[in-house]
Amino acid sequence: MNSRIIKALLKKDVSLFLSNRFYFLITIVGLILYIAIYFLMPSEVNEELNLAVYENENTGVFSQITGEEGINIEYFSDKEVLRQAVMDGDYHVGISLPDNIIAIWQAGEKPDITLYYSSSTPTEIRDAMVALISEIAYIQTGQSINYNISQEVLGTDMAGAQLSLRERMRPLLAVVILLMEILTLASLISVEIEQGTARALFVTPMRTSDLFMAKGILGVGLAMAQAILFLLLANGFDHQPLIILTTLLLGSMLVVGIGFLLASLSRDVMAVTGWGMLIFIILLIPGFGNVMPGLLSDWAKVIPSYFLTDTISRVVNYGAGWSDVGINLAILAGLTAVVIFAGMAALRRRYQ
Amino acid sequence: MEKSIIVENLAYRYGDLLAVDHINFDVKAGKILGFLGPNGAGKTTTVKMLTGQLRPYAGKATLLGYDVTKDTNKVQSQIGVCFEQTNLYEQMSAIENLKLFAALFGVNNFDGYALLERVGLAGREKDKVSGYSKGMKQRLMIARSLVNRPQIIFMDEPTSGLDPVSSEAIDNIILEERDRGATIFLTTHDMWEADKLCDRVAFMNQGKIEALDSPRNLKQQYGKRSLIAEISSNGDAIVKKEIDMDSPNTATEVEKLLTNEKVITLHSEEATLEDIFIKVTGRRLTE
Repeated sequence: MNSRIIKALLKKDVSLFLSNRFYFLITIVGLILYIAIYFLMPSEVNEELNLAVYENENTGVFSQITGEEGINIEYFSDKEVLRQAVMDGDYHVGISLPDNIIAIWQAGEKPDITLYYSSSTPTEIRDAMVALISEIAYIQTGQSINYNISQEVLGTDMAGAQLSLRERMRPLLAVVILLMEILTLASLISVEIEQGTARALFVTPMRTSDLFMAKGILGVGLAMAQAILFLLLANGFDHQPLIILTTLLLGSMLVVGIGFLLASLSRDVMAVTGWGMLIFIILLIPGFGNVMPGLLSDWAKVIPSYFLTDTISRVVNYGAGWSDVGINLAILAGLTAVVIFAGMAALRRRYQ
Repeated sequence: MEKSIIVENLAYRYGDLLAVDHINFDVKAGKILGFLGPNGAGKTTTVKMLTGQLRPYAGKATLLGYDVTKDTNKVQSQIGVCFEQTNLYEQMSAIENLKLFAALFGVNNFDGYALLERVGLAGREKDKVSGYSKGMKQRLMIARSLVNRPQIIFMDEPTSGLDPVSSEAIDNIILEERDRGATIFLTTHDMWEADKLCDRVAFMNQGKIEALDSPRNLKQQYGKRSLIAEISSNGDAIVKKEIDMDSPNTATEVEKLLTNEKVITLHSEEATLEDIFIKVTGRRLTE
């Protein structure tokens, strides 16, 4: 590779990027929009606890916590209706008391109490509910552990995911910003092929590797710079900044590889836009999994962006370290290498 | 005189189609070779192989002593290519376009302004190319192909669709480059341009070179010289009479014509390269 040639090509691509209002606008407007979306999202968690209670008779078991600040209790006379209400997310916890619970306690026996949780109920609340039942039972009987408790999560369990919507959106928006550069890079390459300027380059001493390197530096530079800016503003570097930088670098390289593949598939800029949107939406799916925990299952791991999104999410939102995300990063690096080499091979054929 | 281009048994195949069929020719340094043929004859494929854009299916091309397939970079650093279709960076200015290519070729102390002045684009150097006329773009294409002072210049239809003034300006640049010592490989449909500029012309048809010689020799070998006379007869009616200039009876027939007929006009006429191309290949150049 020739550094003089790569520098000349890079200068040309930056000049073309800046002189093309479309690329420039979608980059700047897109970045501002994503930052604005992040800050418009609620940053606080709703701390109210909604309880649904099934009891066949008015036992008054919960009378001591009724009316306490932050606790809302609704009574149900149908157990199935209660289950459905909890499953729909209307209540954090459903408590099903057995018939004649007072009589059971008075007889010195242990009543069977069932707790239903909605899928998004945090672990802390689950632990608190067990403690609450224990406390109430003690008040009623003066004895501890005088009950049998069973717990059931309705829907997919998302324990520990008590994050604000803003925090949940953060990995998704960072990945969106990275992925936008697929379209920019593929369009720049496609225009060069379509207008024949690439042909003019190939009758100079420039080698294909010089061209790939220049495009790669441009793509990684554009994608990474924007993602870093966003995460700086969104407090994304508070934990493990080196892991985040490594992840963004691998993600930007993945974006370059996908950009090469997209440009090699597309006959013109219209095709880049069409195919690009399809690829863009597919690659965003893992990001939605962060916004709506429980949405995705293992199948999402076949999408190359899964390990990118998941790593950012685990580090930024849960403070994960190298040992937690090491496998993720290794898989991401492997996938990136495969996609980049496939992209270069496909694009080489397209240039020829 | 050294040979700048030596082509031996060169062939290229697109699937089942043999686009270039084992052709042989050479071009001496400082000469202009015209490559004539209709669309699909194999001209562009030949140029692509000679400029390192396509790897030959068979045969060998040597430019400036380097095998194009093996020493592609060495060859490409000493050639200039002017494409038929405009392929400039339209969002960049003329001077930016030239500076980009000068950087790719590693030209030191490149004076793009002087080159643009030479092709008649002085004063428009910093304008975006998208605002240029077709003629101006073509001049810039020529300028770009000269950035590295190439020893061989490939020009594909450089004057196609241009007005006469722009065409003549480009023709003059081609002749200047030839005088500088550059070898010119000129692909064209324009027989007049080929006749005017080329030291030798090759007729290419269906992947093969059907004839290769100087325009004068081709005309002598395949053409017919004649005199065309317009004669007034029986009042206002004018008839044309043709006399073969290479016949043993030419002198007698001319004397008879001038003595016995009322000659209005008298012109000599020689075969054009187009006529010869049709005679050699059975096809027209513009098919």
